[in-house]
Formats: sequence, structure tokens, C-alpha cells
Amino acid sequence: MKKIDKNRLILGLAAPVLAIVAALAITSIIIGVTGKDPFHAYQVMVEFGSKADSQVWIINKATPYYLSALAVAVGFRMNLFNIGVDGQYRIAAFFAAVVGGALTLPGIIEIPVIIIVAMAVGALWAGIAGLLKTSRGVNEVISTIMLNAIGASVIGYFLQDGRLAKKEGNLIHTPYLPDSAHFFEIPTQTKPIYGFVVIAALAGVAYWFLLNRTRFGFDLRTVGQSETAAQASGVSVKRMVVTSMLISGALAGLVGMPTLLGVSYNYGTDFPTGIGFTGIAIALLGRNNPVGMALAALLWGFLERTGTQLEFEGYAQEIVGVIQGVIVLCVVIAYELVRRYGLKAQQRKVGEELAAQARKSDKAEVSA
Amino acid sequence: MRRVSTITVAGISTAALAFTLSACGSSSTESSGGSGKGVGLAFDVGGRDDHSFNESAARGVDKAKKDMGIDNKMMTAKNGETEADREQRLTSLADAGYNPVIGVGFNYAKSIEKVAKDYPKTTFGIVDSVVPGNNVDSITFGEHEGSYLAGVAAALKSKNHKVGFIGGVNNALIQKFQAGFEQGVKDTDSSVQVTSQYLYPNNDKGFNDPAAAKDKAKGMLDSGIDVIYTAAGLSGNGSIEAVAGQKGAWAIGVDSDQYQQPGLEQYKNSILTSVVKNVDVAVYDLIKSVKDGKPLTGEHKYLLKDDGVSLATSGGFIDDIKDKIEAAKKKIVDGQITVRTSP
Amino acid sequence: MELAGITKRFPGVVANHDIHLTVRRGTVHALCGENGAGKSTLMKILYGMQKPDEGTITLDGEQVTLHSPADAIARGIGMVHQHFMLADNLTVLENVVLGAEKLHGIGGKARAKIKEISDAYGLGVRPDVLVEDLGVADRQRVEILKVLYRGARTLILDEPTAVLVPQEVDALFDNLRELKSEGLTVIFISHKLGEVLSVADDITVIRRGTTVGTAIPSRTTPKQLAELMVGEELPSPETRESTVTDIPMLTVEGLHLSATDSDGVVRAVLDGITFTIHKGEVLGLAGVEGNGQAELVEAIMGMRSPDAGTVTLDGEDITKAPTRKRREDGIGYIPEDRHRHGLLLEAPLWENRILGHVTERPNSKRGLIDTKAARADTERIVREFDVRTPGIEVTAASLSGGNQQKLIVGREMSHLPKLLIAAHPTRGVDVGAQAQIWDQIREARHEGLAVLLISADLDELIGLSDTLRVMFRGRLVADADPATITPEELGSAMTGAAGGHLEHHEKGTKGEKGEKGSGGKPKPPERGASSEPRKAGTSPKAKKPGNTNRNKSKKNKKKRRR
Repeated sequence: MKKIDKNRLILGLAAPVLAIVAALAITSIIIGVTGKDPFHAYQVMVEFGSKADSQVWIINKATPYYLSALAVAVGFRMNLFNIGVDGQYRIAAFFAAVVGGALTLPGIIEIPVIIIVAMAVGALWAGIAGLLKTSRGVNEVISTIMLNAIGASVIGYFLQDGRLAKKEGNLIHTPYLPDSAHFFEIPTQTKPIYGFVVIAALAGVAYWFLLNRTRFGFDLRTVGQSETAAQASGVSVKRMVVTSMLISGALAGLVGMPTLLGVSYNYGTDFPTGIGFTGIAIALLGRNNPVGMALAALLWGFLERTGTQLEFEGYAQEIVGVIQGVIVLCVVIAYELVRRYGLKAQQRKVGEELAAQARKSDKAEVSA
Repeated sequence: MRRVSTITVAGISTAALAFTLSACGSSSTESSGGSGKGVGLAFDVGGRDDHSFNESAARGVDKAKKDMGIDNKMMTAKNGETEADREQRLTSLADAGYNPVIGVGFNYAKSIEKVAKDYPKTTFGIVDSVVPGNNVDSITFGEHEGSYLAGVAAALKSKNHKVGFIGGVNNALIQKFQAGFEQGVKDTDSSVQVTSQYLYPNNDKGFNDPAAAKDKAKGMLDSGIDVIYTAAGLSGNGSIEAVAGQKGAWAIGVDSDQYQQPGLEQYKNSILTSVVKNVDVAVYDLIKSVKDGKPLTGEHKYLLKDDGVSLATSGGFIDDIKDKIEAAKKKIVDGQITVRTSP
Repeated sequence: MELAGITKRFPGVVANHDIHLTVRRGTVHALCGENGAGKSTLMKILYGMQKPDEGTITLDGEQVTLHSPADAIARGIGMVHQHFMLADNLTVLENVVLGAEKLHGIGGKARAKIKEISDAYGLGVRPDVLVEDLGVADRQRVEILKVLYRGARTLILDEPTAVLVPQEVDALFDNLRELKSEGLTVIFISHKLGEVLSVADDITVIRRGTTVGTAIPSRTTPKQLAELMVGEELPSPETRESTVTDIPMLTVEGLHLSATDSDGVVRAVLDGITFTIHKGEVLGLAGVEGNGQAELVEAIMGMRSPDAGTVTLDGEDITKAPTRKRREDGIGYIPEDRHRHGLLLEAPLWENRILGHVTERPNSKRGLIDTKAARADTERIVREFDVRTPGIEVTAASLSGGNQQKLIVGREMSHLPKLLIAAHPTRGVDVGAQAQIWDQIREARHEGLAVLLISADLDELIGLSDTLRVMFRGRLVADADPATITPEELGSAMTGAAGGHLEHHEKGTKGEKGEKGSGGKPKPPERGASSEPRKAGTSPKAKKPGNTNRNKSKKNKKKRRR
């Protein structure tokens, strides 16, 4: 047992280390090819990224990324590719903003109402893809991409002066949320951290608990590992598809909340887009592990924070995008390599121990 | 499983430890800026080479460099940015000591307001929006007035008596273009039909989507429209390209004198004129004022009478109707005509 | 071909140790051994997939080193794998030339060559048929032809008879003799001793990674051979005393299921299936694979919904119940394909222990997984069912097939099922594990378990069952008394050749037989273990359940005739 533990530890560390080393090597080559000094770039990034206000910025940036990754990961764990988190969180945030803007309630009610509306709308939007998959066999990748486009158009229709939004200068946005809906902030020595980071952390814990400690989570993972075995074990795969899409969509509904409740207090033309896609990269990077994804989201924030600084040092603006892509690729490849190696090593080890057992009991026997 | 979680727990605690340790460290914004490294220019989507709005601003910066030897740093936004990204860009520029720091485009309004407070010694400029703050220069233009003249030219040049307007995004700024253009057309020849359309109701992608503008323009051309005025930043290139594909049709450019744009060289014979928004002039003014130690702040409108907007004459396609345009211009300058700012 | 002193070490373990194997040209050489004895490693060495650490391989007097399968093929060694490597949607011709396009092209020349080989060895392969339309035996012949097409003079066949019915086995053996007479060499891996003895010229037995002996078929009994192989006395699948009661546990009535095949034609996969299994009864279902057995199992498990008919478990109608409810109600399931239906290969053993019983104790409490209890219970299963594993945290994929199966059996038995559906419970399982699984089934049956047993191993089927049914094209076409029937007779009913639903037995039809002789009656010595005294000593408390059974089957027959 002891030995396996040690191996497990080494294997567990091997993949991220391998990935990071490979990613660094490849990026260094790329930067080198552009005629710049890669090590100086890393130095700049580390120095700038570790500044106090950078850390606040990174955490604030990582919070929606993390929520988005959770939403994607729920799908990943059962082999569903919810590419529609982007549309889900936007439409969820939009209607949550509309509802929140129309109500004036004490914060203790107002905020939960807004969050629940967002989760419900997100779940509904994702649920459509789930239903289409189970009833008509429509691949969820296709349907969620389509729903992204439809969602954008729905928002575009309602987000106009006189419909559900109003104008403010060159911006069009939903009415402001009442002050009671402003989420708390965590003050630091520089800028404050969004209070929603607490919700994100709780969502991470809930995700872990749901998947690893409940029957439902076990069923979900079973479907992800082997649909046939899941069916034979008594899981209704269809119902599971719909349920997990609903959960994924509800989590996606949370993605826009840090911005809505902590920064903009409305849904306007300048509401951030694309976080759903970033979530896919982060879920891949974090291997669907709640802690892994948190680290990945922070890494993403770090890269975006420090990327701007690199521009000042004369590095190309695109270099950060390249680094992000390379890291995801390296991680995916490294994990797959390590996983295969680990499986083989384990099989060998099992064989080895059994042979050892056999040898012990084999003494007396003489072959015929 | 259990063991994995021990590892991860170890991981988090190390990370948390490293985090708290370094959190006590310095802040990146400790220097308060204002040290005069040159001009910091933050573009909206499309970047410096949009042959239009951004490029016009960049020209002002280039001129400042030539005339006064003032250095600059230009940075560009990506599609789908958040407020935090824009704030960071401005903060970085201010922090690095650039002064003035100019946000090119109304998307920077909110972030300029915030960042300007953090850097009281730096002068900020914002184009196309009005932002409060005693170290902010809000630069706006009389787009509606320029567009009125474009409307006059379009009405006179259209053979089919049908002209079109394409806006990138349906917001207050672009509506100014639309309103002026429509008024100009109607005042010149009330029988001319104006069709106004927008690429996106509320997505800034409208300034960065030439393909969409191309499709829109093609549709207009098919319906018999033969003069198209496009106010959509970089997207306008697509519209011009479509117009150039049809004989006898004219495109009206925007922001810069698009006839002169090397990137649009092959279509220049279809560019009737351009409503030039002299962002370069405004930017240059701001830079100069900062250099002279008397930074401009408050609201500055660059109207037709200040040559803040004008109608380009390159190519000589509107030379024949020059008089009528001059007459219209005079009426506006004199206040005989008040151009509407919304349709 | 000669292998001398072959030793293959994996880090820390010796998979093959001082193997000596001499194969004479133009013979069929059988290689026997339990699963995990080292046969597959040896075959991989022979086929160039692995290199030995020590020892030499000599081909026709020339010492060679094989670096890759391509090397092996170049030297005339070909391998027919246990799991066929054919593309279903391609024709036979395309499958054969795939990857060997350079030999004879892909057109007329290739077709002619295939014809030539097929005729020369009596393989009867039609080059333009789609592989998906072929039966198992035909596919196997295509595999053999593929190897011959690539110029092999030595063929390695890995467990070729595992998937065949006796008649097909005979046909295969005829092919092998044909090959032999043409001067080709066949290395034949099997642990079915009767077959080995009937076809092989020489036999080499491997146990625990080393060659423990050779045998000449004419001078060896199956029992001797088996004991050589296992190193101990051989188990038998026989059920000695009847425990059949007259309390019905599972009643299936008029089950009908239709499915649309690839051509869009709707056909009945299950047609008028009616049978009853009583407490303490093992009902054996014989049939060539693909005749509806899998669908029947899935219908009973609730994984497919039939068009008509009812399923009643212990007096409760479960026709409409979802799979999970059925499992909770006491159906245990040993699936045919454990990798697809029985295990999560990349999950640790204790999670596999939860699979299928997630709602039951000790796996969960109030909706939450009780990992502690599940782990503890997995430890118990590992202990009690002798699952050979270093721990319960290893993945299921790292266990050998037999140990995986023991885990599944242990899991299903741990929930005290009322009905056990066992589809090929000992397929790909070594002799030792086989005996344990049989014991488990017998023991549970003794305690009143009803068992639906499906197996391609007719000895197993006959040995374990109290009642036998034969399934052909979605219908139950015959029944038989396991006490008297021979595998050959059963085999002919399975191919449909024996025509219709009547009992086929030289001594008359079953309906007329007065007694159902399952108590203590010795079985024909197919497996050479008839005299094994294990359970014969216990006095047969044989009840006489035959009446109900017989009545039931008469009723069935009536129904079918309608």
C-alpha cells in the first residue's frame, strides 16, 4: 500500500509539472523566435502579477471564470460538452438584471431573488439542449452553439431603449439594480475583492460534494465513464442528461453575478462576453477538479493581468493568448500521457504483487 | 481519492500561504504617474489600422511625435472585454508615466472616470463621450453636422433617388450620424428615399465586423440604393468593398478621409467623400496643452465651425457640387440650420 | 520453430521464466494454461510485440530476433486474435487487403488470391460479403484468411473456440487439419481440454509463467492434462442435488420485442418468450450468440422495453419498472460483456462495488455515498470472493478478467438477490476462478436463488442447469433435460438444424420422461471429471419438482403452436 501511495503522489505531481515545463519551454521558443528574451518576460510577469493590487484584480477576474468552469465541468464529468455556458450566463444575467432592476426589496431578499432568477434562466436555457438531446438526439454541441446565437439575439431584441432597457449616453442597459442589491465586498489594502468569491468557493465545495458524495453524483460520474455500464446499473441516462444540463445551466447562471452584483449593477452593451468559452479552457486545465479549476482560473487571471504589462516591455500583445493556448494543450496531453502510463504501471504492479503471492504459496508444488 | 485530496489540500495551503505573504508586498500603482513619458493611447476594438476612427486619433499622436518629439504607447482592446480589462489598460498606461492618457472611443467612459481619480496628476482624454473629472478632457464632435453635408452630397449624387445609411451599433453616437445624414438628404431633395440600418442593435462587435457590413451594403445595393454612408469604424471597409463592386454606386466614408487610406486604395474610386472627424486635431490639441503645462480639461466640442468635422474632397468627385455644399455649411455655421442629433 | 529458455521480466516480476517450446513444422501444437499463466506474454514474444530478456527463438534452424509484428509477419508468423480485428462495414475483400495493399493490390488480383487461398484450405470465404453480415465462425475464417494472405506459414490462434458452438468448432478443426496437411504450422491456445486433445499433435502446458510439461494427446486423459494445467484437482460445473422448489420467482410471459435492423426492416428480436424460473432453480439458456439472448436479458433488466408481454418477479409485476427498481427488488446481474456493462474500468474497485447498487446499503445512506462502508465492504468481497488484488484503490482495469468477474459476482451476491441473471459468467475466466464462480452460484441456488444462466460453454450450461431451453431467432424452440442431453444434441438445436421445439433425445422426448433426474446422477465425462467426489457424497434430498416444470413446458408448447 505504501508504495502505491508514493507512486500516486509522484503521478499526481508528474502531470502538472510536465505540463508546465513543456508549456514554458514552448513559449520560450516562441518568444525567442520573435527576437525577445523570454526570461525577462517571465520576470516581468511574476513581478507585476505578485503586486497586491494585481492579486485583487486576478481574484476578481478569476471568480466568474471559476464559476464558468464549474458549469462546464458538470457536463464534462458525464461526457456532455456544454459549449453553451456563454449564452446561458448572458441570458441569465440579463433577465436577472431585468428582474432585479424592477424590484426594490431589502438586500437579504433582493439578492437571493436575483441569483435564483439567474440560475433558473440559465438552467432553463441549458435544459432546452438537454431535452433536444434526449428527445430528438440532437448533439448538445450543436444545440448549445445555436442557443448561444439565439440567446444573443433575444438579448439584442430586449436590450433596446423602450423595451427592457434604457439609454445612458452611448450605452444601453437595463435599469440599475437598487442599492440593496449590491453584493458585499471584501476590503483590502488596495481595491476591494468581490464578495461573490465566497459564493464561488461555496459552489466549488457544493460541486465536489454533489459529485463525490451523493448518489446522484455517483450516477452522473458513472454515465460519464461508461454509458452502457450506467444503464445496466439502473441509471436513466436520458434523465441524467437533462438533469445535468439543468445543473450546468444553473451554475452558468452564476457566472454573470459577480459582474452584475459587484460592478455594473445592470446588464448593458458593455457586459462581458466570452467567459463561457474561457470556462471550457479552465475546466480542461483544472481536470474538472474543484481545486484544480480554482488554480487554473487564477492562472488565467494572472496571465491576463500580466499580459498587458508585457506590452509595455515590447512583447507582442498576442503572446499571452499563445501562452494560454499552449498551456491548455500541454496540460491535456500531459495528463493523458501520465494517465496511460499510470494505468499501465498499475496493471504491472498488480500482476507483480499477485505473482509474488503466488510464488509464496507455490513452494511445495512440483510440476508434473 | 483520499490521497489525492491530501495533495490538493497541500497545494491550496501552499498557494494560500504564498498569496498572503506576497499580498503584504507592494502595490503596482505606487508611483502616481504624471512623469511625462509621452502619450498613452488606448484604442477600442479594431486597433490603430481601422482606416477610420482609431487611425485618425493615431495621426494626431504621430504628428505630436514629429512636431514636438513626444513619445507614445498605443494599446488595443480585444472583442468581449470587461470593464476590468479596460481599467487595467488605462491604469497601466498612467502608471507607466504616460501623460496624457487618451481613451479612444466611448467604451472607455466608465473606466476613464474611475482611473482618473486614482491618478490626479495625469491628464486623461476621452473621445466621443463626456466624463466628469477635473483632470479629464472630454472630446466630442459635431458628427451630425458633418453627416448633414454628406446627406447633401448623397442626395445630389444619387441617380436612383435612393440612399442608404449603415450604422455599426445602434447607440446615441451613431444615431447622431444617422440624424444629420437623413436631415441633409431631405433638406436637399425631399424626393430622395433614405434607408437607415444598423449592423447590431447593441453589440460593439458592430465596429469590428466588415463581413456584416458587406452583406448589409449588398442588400442595399440590390434594392436600388446607389449611395451608401457607413458609420461603423472598421466594419465600414466591408461596405466600401461591396459598393466598389457595383458600377455607378458611391460609398461615403467616415472619420478619416478614406480616399487617402492606403488600405482602401483599390476601392478609392468609389469613395465619393468622407465625413472626416478630426480626432487627430483634438488629440494633438490635448497633447500640446499637456506639454505646455496648461492641460485641457472639461468638455470640448469640435464642430463644423471649428473644423472639428469636415467633408473630404479628395478624388474630386464632389467638385461639381462644391457650391451647394459650401452653402449648406455656411447655413449651419451661421446657425440658420440646426442639425438634429437624434433621428 | 523452437523457443529455448525464454524469460521475460517486467520490472519486479517474471512473466515468463525459462520457457521451452518446440513446435514441429506441419503440426497443430496446443498451448494450454490458465489465464494469467503467461500464455499471452509468450504469444506476444512470438509475434514480435515484446522482446524476451533471455532465451532464443529459432525458426527453421535460424536464430532470429523479432522486433515487431511486421517482422513476425515477414518471417511467416501470423496471429488470429481472440477478439476479431475486422471492420464491420467493409467487405471481406477489403478487410483482407487492408494494410496489405502492396501484396496483390486491391482489385482482381487480390480477389483471385483470396479465392485461391480459400479453396486451398477449404475456408469457403466469399470475398464480397460485408463482414457485418457474417456469423462468428465466418468472421474467424476471414481472420485466418487475412493471416494466410499475408504469407503466414505459422499461425497462432488465441482461444479460437471460445465463441463457437460445437459444430462450428468441428468445422474449424477441419480447417486446421487442412492447413496442417498443406504443411503449415498451427499454434493453438486454449484451455478447453477436450478440444485440445482432439485436434492437437503436441501439447505444451504452461503454469505460472513456465512450461511445466508436454503431453501427447493419445496418451493423456483430459483429467491428467487439467491437473497439469492447474496444479490441483479439477473442479466440475455439475450440480449434484436439486434444490428446485415450486415457488415461481421469475415469470416471463409472451414477451415480444421488435427492432429495426440496419436495412430498416423491422423484425422480431424476441417472439413469444414465455418461461418461469422457480426458487432454487437454474434455467440454462442455450443458443448461438445473436439469437435474442442478449435482448431477453436486457428486457428482463429493464434496459429495453418490450412491445408486449409481462415480467413478474416474486409475484410482483415489474414489466414497467425501471432498471434501478428491478435491481433494488433483487435482480442480480452478471453481464455478458463486463467491460461494457459491469464495470467502470478506470474507477477504483470500491467504486465498482457501488456500481448498480448505489441506492442500497452499505453503499449509501440517505442519498449520500458512504465511502467508508463501501470501502470496508469491498475489502470483504475481495477477501471472501478471493479477488486477487493488491488493494481496493486500484482501478478495475488493472485486474485480470477472472478477478474482475469475481468482483462482479461478489458484488451481485452481496445484495442477496432473488434472481441472478448470469450471462457467460465464466467467459475468459481461468479455471480456478471458474470453479469459485460455479460454487457461488450453486451455493446461492441452495438458498433459494433463481438463476437465469446463459452460456456458450455447453458443458457449463448442462452441468449447472436444472432446466434447459434453446433459443433460436428470438424464440424458445426447444427444451432439454440437462441430465441426459449431450452438447452435440444441444448444439444441433442451437443451429436450428434440429427443427422445431421438441425435445431431441435418442431416448425419446422429454415430455414422456417420467423423472427429472438431477439428483446424484453421473454426467457424461466431457470434462473428464465425472468421478469427482466433491458433492456426490451428500445424500440427494432430491425433491421432485419435475411436475410443475413439465406442466409449464407443455403449456408453453401449446402456446407456441397456436
